[in-house]
Amino acid sequence: MGTTRKVWVSILAVLLLAVAGCGSGTGGPGTAGGSGSAKSFTLYTCVSDTTINPVIKAFEKAHPGMQVKLYRAPTGDLNARIAGDIRSGGLRADAIWACDPLTMQDYVGQGLIGDWTPATDIPEEYRTDHYVGVALLYMVAVTHEGVAPPASWKDLTDARYDGSVAVPDPNIAASALGALGYFAADPSYGLDFYATLKKNGGTQLSTPTDVVNGVAQGTYKAGITIANSAYAAKQSGSPIAVTWPDPGSVAIYGPIALAKHSADNKAAKSFCSYVTSKQGQTVIADSGSYPTLAGVPGPTEPADAKIVSPDWMKLSHSKDKVLRQYQSIFGGR
Amino acid sequence: MGGRRSVAPPVFEQARARWALLAVVVVAVLALVVVPLAAMVRTVTVDAGGRVGAVLTAPGFGSAIGTSLIVAAAVTALAVPVGAAFAVALRGSHVPTRTALRVAVLLPVLVPDFVLGFSWLAAFGRSGFVDDLIGWSWPGVQSLAGVTVVLAVNAAPVAYLLTVSGLSARAESDLEWAARAAGARPWTVLRTITMPLLAPSLAMAATVVFVLALGAFAIPEILGSATGVHTVTTRIYADLASSSDPASFVAAVTLALVLVLIAAAVVGPADALLTPGLRTTRTSGGSLGAAPGGRVAGRLAATMMWCYLAVAVGIPLLALLATAVTRAVGVLPVPSNWTLANFTAVLTARNGEALGRSMVLALVAASVLAVLGGVVALLERDRAGRAAGTLVALTFVLPGSTLAVGLLIGYGRWIGGSLLIIGLAYLAKLWALAHRPVSGALDRLPPEETHASRVSGATSWVALRTVLLRPLAPALLAGWLVCFLTGLHEVTMSSLLYGPGNETLAVVVLNSEELGQVGLTAALSVLLTLLVLVLAAVLWWLVSRVRRSVGVPDVR
Repeated sequence: MGTTRKVWVSILAVLLLAVAGCGSGTGGPGTAGGSGSAKSFTLYTCVSDTTINPVIKAFEKAHPGMQVKLYRAPTGDLNARIAGDIRSGGLRADAIWACDPLTMQDYVGQGLIGDWTPATDIPEEYRTDHYVGVALLYMVAVTHEGVAPPASWKDLTDARYDGSVAVPDPNIAASALGALGYFAADPSYGLDFYATLKKNGGTQLSTPTDVVNGVAQGTYKAGITIANSAYAAKQSGSPIAVTWPDPGSVAIYGPIALAKHSADNKAAKSFCSYVTSKQGQTVIADSGSYPTLAGVPGPTEPADAKIVSPDWMKLSHSKDKVLRQYQSIFGGR
Repeated sequence: MGGRRSVAPPVFEQARARWALLAVVVVAVLALVVVPLAAMVRTVTVDAGGRVGAVLTAPGFGSAIGTSLIVAAAVTALAVPVGAAFAVALRGSHVPTRTALRVAVLLPVLVPDFVLGFSWLAAFGRSGFVDDLIGWSWPGVQSLAGVTVVLAVNAAPVAYLLTVSGLSARAESDLEWAARAAGARPWTVLRTITMPLLAPSLAMAATVVFVLALGAFAIPEILGSATGVHTVTTRIYADLASSSDPASFVAAVTLALVLVLIAAAVVGPADALLTPGLRTTRTSGGSLGAAPGGRVAGRLAATMMWCYLAVAVGIPLLALLATAVTRAVGVLPVPSNWTLANFTAVLTARNGEALGRSMVLALVAASVLAVLGGVVALLERDRAGRAAGTLVALTFVLPGSTLAVGLLIGYGRWIGGSLLIIGLAYLAKLWALAHRPVSGALDRLPPEETHASRVSGATSWVALRTVLLRPLAPALLAGWLVCFLTGLHEVTMSSLLYGPGNETLAVVVLNSEELGQVGLTAALSVLLTLLVLVLAAVLWWLVSRVRRSVGVPDVR
């Protein structure tokens, strides 16, 4: 009898605690909304966990009382989330930190973001009237230990890699989309490059990290991926080699922008200013990503690294067509 | 439902109280199920009328439905015999390590489904754990076959539990002993006595497993999506979570509706056919006697069962642990490569908050459901109440993906991305689970007791508290336990409904897996699995204490 009562009392206590916990802040419609109070804001991003977490931590430390509500997903999922937002009452983000300019240009076209950028010393090539590039992704080649690395991107279509090249999915990963844009626009590559890779038995995986894992495990001899992911795996001991093939590693800049409806959100603006400042750029660099601000030392980069980039503005007009052509080769999610 | 209930007097003699409770239930069913479904139908028929034709004829649409049907049928064909074999074999006292086996057999359903899928990949996939150890791998684990086998492993304990309850209600050990005494061989007894008696329970198990497999999401997502195997549920996820094309949205809603139609088409006839058979009660009273069987057969059965469990969960969980402590992808899981780095990396404040959200959601949902489930069970003693009960039982058929899409369309505008909408989804999905045990326990109560207490002047509340609540406590707690554990690692609906800063821990694990963060996913999975198993053990202990203290014997 006594024990039953004790058991019931303890259950009741647990329940009350739970309900109290629920009341104190986690749930409720209020927390879902976009603009919110000036002290907190919602950030949508595709930037990797390893970078975004330290950046938010440093920002919140530098701006006591300000809080970032984070939604983090690969670019494909981010687009879907934004489309869902628009269907159900409007964009819920106050700021978006994308991983490539093409995706961001789309948001500008939809009238979702822009009209304000923070004052910054970041070079003009990474800036428009609507957004500022704050981090760079470099597309590199990764090979399993013992496999001869490709000297040029074209080498990946060689017989020695037959049936064993992995590429990330441009429908999911912005970096892959940027690389696709570069190769599609380069007449000596074009979409034929992808068609040959596919014909030789190339495999499309979803994210650049999947490519690194597949090559590290020896499932694939080589792959196209992003430098920070490849170097991180190599550093922790994965049996891979990283190369920057000719004509160069494809550089893709990830821009940040303020949502139009959040023009007076102080916290969101502070965050944009922070990540474009020297302080924020240093945190980005320390986390293993490549900063855009000159003079901030970034992670591993070969001394003679060649870097190429597509004409983003030109590409933004042909993006959908190129993606469709690519999908007819590799398929899409 | 059963005729026995009609003789019972209602607990709530004041009509007002009864109607108020009934109204609560009806409003809840309307809000949780009817409005979302209606919103979906509206989206498909009115808002997107022009696009539906294109959606229905798109190549991915038919193939997803076909894949789902094939998978669900194959999973049923595999899981039901395995579950039933365990149930029949574990009746015999001649089976060594029987008690341990009875706990171990439940592991595949206690381990979160996405963890099971990820563990199988880590264990048997290319360059996986077994490949590292003995150079053997099963590339098919990431294919239709892999999805089917792992779903079957996951569903077998459900088939086992349903068969066990069928055995305890119907199988006549006296008959079996008599047949054995008369010289029948064990196989003959099984074939001619045990199996025919079990047939209705097996059919019910098959129905339940089919519906579960049809609505399953995490395992097909982890093992199938990468290789292009799409079921209806993973297609809905891809359409909603990874595509901004408006046509994808219509496709997702249409698929979600088709899914519920398929489930209803299977369950409707099965329920009508099976219910009379399941209602027959056992003729001989007393506790469940042990089935006859030989010592050698018992040893053999135990060995086979342990081997199965080793392959189905043992090796996969070991592989998960090995992946979590190995410092990098592509290196052998030997001690020189061990590290705790993955564990320290996932012990972040954000993951802690996600765990907190999962706990709060599971606790609140389970507690609200214990009340709602109890209310419905009490109301079932009159006709209107019985209709409400049937309605609640039917929510079991609704796949999680369908409910999530419906809630998103119905309420997304106001509460989209909040914990509240995830909580509502849990309530809608798990209601049937909370209601079933209470309803069953109430069936077994002598109706005279409440009547007597009311006649002797007790108020409804006193009658409820003194006569009903005590004996119903174990069932309420059991329902609470099932809902809590399910809610703790629910991912099908949460992954479609969560918003910025509102991830549950299960969503964090799924996202980490989809990003290819192998070591971190493994570490998170190990922690989540440990948490679930420890909580399950503690709560189970609590339930059996309550059971014993109110004098209900342990159902073994």
